[in-house]
Amino acid sequence: MAGQVRAMIDQIVEQRSKGNSVLATTTLTKLILKGLDPARFDANSPDDPIVIARIREVAAELNVTL
Amino acid sequence: MAIKVAHLTNGTVNAGAELAAQLGTPAVVVYFASPKHDPQALAKSVAAAFPASTTLGCTSSGELVSGSMTKGAIVAMGFDADVVSRAEVELIPDIKASVDGINRTFAAWESRIGTKMIDLDPERWIGLVLVDGLSGAEERVMDRIGDLTNVNFIGGSAGDDVAFKETFVAAAGRTQSNAAVLALFECPNGFDVIKTQSFHASRHFLVPTKVDKAAREVIEFNGRPAVAAYAEALGVKPDDLAGQFMAHPLGLMIGGEPFVRSPQQVIGDKVRFYCGVDEGMKLAVLDSTGIVEDTTSALGSALKRNPGARGLLNFNCILRTLELEATGQTDEYGKVFDAVPTVGFSTYGEEYIGHINQTATMVLFR
Repeated sequence: MAGQVRAMIDQIVEQRSKGNSVLATTTLTKLILKGLDPARFDANSPDDPIVIARIREVAAELNVTL
Repeated sequence: MAIKVAHLTNGTVNAGAELAAQLGTPAVVVYFASPKHDPQALAKSVAAAFPASTTLGCTSSGELVSGSMTKGAIVAMGFDADVVSRAEVELIPDIKASVDGINRTFAAWESRIGTKMIDLDPERWIGLVLVDGLSGAEERVMDRIGDLTNVNFIGGSAGDDVAFKETFVAAAGRTQSNAAVLALFECPNGFDVIKTQSFHASRHFLVPTKVDKAAREVIEFNGRPAVAAYAEALGVKPDDLAGQFMAHPLGLMIGGEPFVRSPQQVIGDKVRFYCGVDEGMKLAVLDSTGIVEDTTSALGSALKRNPGARGLLNFNCILRTLELEATGQTDEYGKVFDAVPTVGFSTYGEEYIGHINQTATMVLFR
């Protein structure tokens, strides 16, 4: 399976920014500073369980429900 | 005037009263002071002189006040209620151990304001953050703030006149080391945030592959000893690497802009930084450009976007200040801020979404 990582990152950005493009950029910056660079993942990225676990941690920190 | 600045070259036991003579009775007072002025006594003096105001400040390593850079001074900015209509401030102690105090502070503010921090309008509310500059806790402070709110918190790490022994932050008359001060301002006329650094990315990149995160040290870049890999990227001998740090720090590139990570020193084969670096973080080797020219351009653009702007808070990295001193440009840099009432200080790190170096972060109030 592939693409789950990117989908989860997009969900985090969507929920935190609510469509506001400035907040979307800020949220992407926060993810990068947390060590999750969205640019490294796309629809073909493998569903790496270690990365998925880290995204769940970050989502919880940001109070986002996935 | 809605924003006033004050400047004392010789602090006295009556510093608060002398600042009040210049600022009147503002809603909020933000001050920065050389540690040669007893931080505890100054905080009490300021709080006593402004009994109806929200007060916060920290120690500095040089100050900025409209049109000039100073040393050993006390500078302050007073905000009237038409600029800052509501202000909250809290001193959060013992940040080396835990930053959970941020959660408690935000919960208290939410209760008083009646809105969750995550729901505050980031175009109407701005946060300030002042952190003990020797705590090493800035990354955790900024990370926690960013988790809990979309409001931008801008600020800097307190200094101590380049002694690197002890720095202090203060709020409402309380002063502490190992602490952070958070303030939240409601600004009905809005504000603008400026982040400027004088670097561009070279074609060389380094990826930390082994780090000691707590010590802010990189042990390996690209799978090789950190010093050797960094020196090779710059085309210098390892023994000459430290001499290149000021002009060639590293940058995490986000949206084409560097979030600067400045190397502090070589320790054997390792490189220690002034802020955190994570394994796998792709970092560009940066080349320096002109601080005065770049800052003039950044502020000029902001003033065009915000005609009639009423005041500027400036958090300017000590490494920028040291470079300006080395190149004899401090007068020229100070004059960049002639056009708008300005107060600032030379920091041990700057805060903007995260913790960064060799940058000036500023808030321009409308």
